[in-house]
Formats: sequence, C-alpha cells, structure tokens
Amino acid sequence: MAKYNAMTQEWLDAWKQKIATSKEYKEIAKNWEGSVSIIVNPDPEKGIPEPIYVFTDYWHGDVLDFLICDKAKAESARFVMSGDYTRWKQVAKKEVDSTKALMQGKLKLKGDLTYVVRNIKTVNKVIDLLCEIETIWPDEA
Amino acid sequence: MGYDRDLSFVYFGPTKIVFGAGTSRDVDIEMAGLGCRKALVVTDPGVMKAGLVEGVREALGERCAGVWSDVPQDTGIGVVNSAAAFAREKGVDCVVSVGGGSVIDTGKGICILLMEGGGLENFEGIQLLTRPQTPHIVIPTTAGTGSEVTCMAVILDERKGQKMLIVEYFNAPRIAILDPKMTERLPPLLTASTGMDAMTHAVEALQSLSREPIADGLAMQAIRLLHRDLPVCTENGADLAARGQTQLAATMAGWAFGNAMVGLVHAMAHSIGAIARVPHGIANGILLPHVMAFNRDDAAEGYAMVAEALGVREKGMDEREAAEAAITAIRSFLERIGHPLRLSEVGVTDEDIAKSAALSLSDGAIVNNPRPVLDEEEVIAVYRAAF
Repeated sequence: MAKYNAMTQEWLDAWKQKIATSKEYKEIAKNWEGSVSIIVNPDPEKGIPEPIYVFTDYWHGDVLDFLICDKAKAESARFVMSGDYTRWKQVAKKEVDSTKALMQGKLKLKGDLTYVVRNIKTVNKVIDLLCEIETIWPDEA
Repeated sequence: MGYDRDLSFVYFGPTKIVFGAGTSRDVDIEMAGLGCRKALVVTDPGVMKAGLVEGVREALGERCAGVWSDVPQDTGIGVVNSAAAFAREKGVDCVVSVGGGSVIDTGKGICILLMEGGGLENFEGIQLLTRPQTPHIVIPTTAGTGSEVTCMAVILDERKGQKMLIVEYFNAPRIAILDPKMTERLPPLLTASTGMDAMTHAVEALQSLSREPIADGLAMQAIRLLHRDLPVCTENGADLAARGQTQLAATMAGWAFGNAMVGLVHAMAHSIGAIARVPHGIANGILLPHVMAFNRDDAAEGYAMVAEALGVREKGMDEREAAEAAITAIRSFLERIGHPLRLSEVGVTDEDIAKSAALSLSDGAIVNNPRPVLDEEEVIAVYRAAF
C-alpha cells in the first residue's frame, strides 16, 4: 500500500478517494451539508514550522474540494477546527475520540456543535477512513 | 470498579465554593478578593419579586453598578447582547448572577462579551477563548442546575429558533455562593423538580461513556444527599440544613456531569421541553426511571453504584439486580417527593412524542449515553412508557 506524507495534497487526495468510494459513507453522510477546515498550529520541534490549513467540503454524501489552503479559505468554512499537531495526530490515529478532544479543550471548534453531534456518525466515518491511509507523520519520518 | 486500564481524562472544576446560611451577604468580600470594583447584578423578574436581590444589592453597596432583571425563562442572544451593552455603559468589571440556570447562563454570556467585545452570535463553538474572561460570581436560587460550576452555557439563537451551546473552560464562574436562605421559599413542586434535575445529572454522570472516578465520587455523594434531604425540603422548605445539603448536592452533581456529561434523559428532556414546554427538571424526573430501564443492560455497573448511594443494594445482589433495585428506588423517590410521574400529567400529547423523538436524536447529550440509540422508534418507546 502506498504511503503518504501527512497533511500534504497527496495525502488529502488519498483521503478524499477513500471517502468518495465508500458506500457506507455515502449512506451515512446523506444529510451532511458543508465544509470543514482543519487548522494545525505550528510546532517546529515536530516538523510543523508554519500553521497548516486544510479545507474539506462535503455535500449529501458527495465529496467536493479537499485542499491545502490559506488562512482566509480555512476560516471561510462552515466549521473551523483547530488544534496542536500532537492532538490532530492522536485524533487521526484514533488514540483520542474527536468529541472528547473538543469537550476537553484539546481541539477548538467554531460552528454549530449541535449539527456536528446530529451527524456524529458522519464525522466518525470520515476519521475511520483517514485511519485506513498509510501515513508518514512529520515527527516520525 | 470497571475503569479501563488505559483510562485518560481531564477533570475541570475551578470554581471556589462559599457555603452557609447568610453567605450571600459576603458577596462584597468575595468580589473584593477578585480585585473587582463594579458589578452588574443579573437576575430575573421572579427572583426580584421574591426579594432575593435586595440583600445582595445592599451587601454590594457602591460596588453595585446596576441590576439587569430582564432575563426570561429561556435566555437568548438578544438578551445577553442587550445586558452586555448595559454592563459596558456602567463600566463593570464583574458579573454577579442571582437566579437559576437561565440567569447564570446569561451571566456567562455577558462575561464573554465584556472581555472579548462583539455579539454573542460570534462565539458559537467549543473552547474558542484563549484567556480568562470577566470574573463571574454566582448565587443560585434553586438547587438543581449545577450551572454555577460548569463551563457550559445554553443560549437561544432567536433568529435560527434553536439553542446554541457554548463550552469554554475560560468562562467557568470564579465563585459560587451557596446560601440556603436563597432557596428557602421555593415551593414544593419547584423544589422537587429542580432536585430531580440534580439527581438526573448525578445518575447520568454515573452511566456516561465518559465517566471517571472523580465525577463518580461526586455523583455518588450528590445522590446520597438528595435521597436524604430532598424529601425534607419538599415537606418543610424552611429547614435550612436540608436546603443547604441539597444545594451542595446540586453543585457536586454539576461538577460530575460537567466532566462526565449526561445522556438520553437530557436529550429527551430538552426535546420535550422544546416541543411541549415541559419544564426541564420535571421532564428529567419523569423520564429518568424509564431511560434507566432502557439503558439497564449497558449501564448495570453505574446503576449498581446508584443503588448503593440510594441504600438499596443488598448483600448478594449482582449488578443487574442492583440496577433493577435502583430503578425501583428512583420511582419510589419521585412519589415520595410529590413529583409528577407521567408526561400526560404535564400536558404532553401523543403528537408531541413523535416530534420530540426526532429532535432527541440530534441532541448532543445522546453521544455519551451508554446504550447506542439507533432510531426514533426506540426513543418513542421510552416516551410512551413515560406517557
């Protein structure tokens, strides 16, 4: 299986492909509307010298843009999630539950929490599919 | 005790507690201790009418810059924004909330706007703040909500017609003054229903998927105190010792659920409250034993702890038997305190049930319920059992 460097466009493309080809996702996410951005705070010691901005967009089971972007684009998303690299890595590896990470202040969310909760199965499925990608993390490379 | 070997959690409970009859008169000392000079007192018309604000205002003296008493039963963004504008005009550096959950959540919203500026509609989300907010002193006038020690606020977005949840560690109240005299004149039904709100917080914390030992300990003691003292309060509201213990129980239950979260009872109570206007505490109380029956097989360990706290776990009982005993004991307890037992008693109709079931599935509280809730039919069945 191919390996991808985390938080690169290639990695996002692979993630998008996983989601787009998942029949289970298409069914679970049939009600989801809107974009989610991920902001990774800089952590030079872990190989993240600058913030990383990721924009992902979903619509009723379809997958739209999956982009490494700039700050303005990231902040235009319906949901903006931000946090330290270590936290994102824990979520991506399913070492930490994303809802718990939010409630405990390990990640921040700007947007309607009730909508996220209503669609928590969609959120969990997207993370499950991310876990299936062979990822090379900057601090493990 | 069945905690995972790799248990990992965050416990958050920074609020200072001041307890005792007459301690609401110490609000000026506590405020000075925070280094604050001018306070806005936030309250509602009912609390004003009951004369509970006067003593606080007198105690504050010149430190009281004004009183905002227009908080409705369910506070909204517009209310918070107007109150914050009033607070800014008065140049306040501290908020003193005197009231129940709606008043306290209004106070929390004002604290954010005084520090960060703008309107509350810009703060929808979780853990967005990056610095401590305006100091907030809370003087509860009910014993139930637990909001005096949580970092959460529920505010109605009037434009969208839905409730907005704000969760911010930086906005937990600095001080809660638990003065039993402030709850002395609560009528029996309100005493019972707010007490059952606290009982539900404690039981749901013990059954939560996010339960942990600190929250469990607080929840257990909250149940013990409520079981012993809530019936005393409903029979004789003037018993300040019992009033005080139920206030402490509500606060402990607040810490418990503020960390371990709640479950299906709250999801269903929020929904039936929105659809049929059933007061939150009453909905919680009625639904609690029915949701416990629904969850029993997935939460037997937590419910066995409830049985232990209620004094009904007998020697030799396994967890499932103890859980059953807990459910029976909660039903008896509701009768003992004169709490409504059926949704049909409080104006709920058959039509309300289907609408409420659909809404329940989208409530955040459902995430931590021990038994996964798969579809509306399951929720409808629980509502019908409670109907």
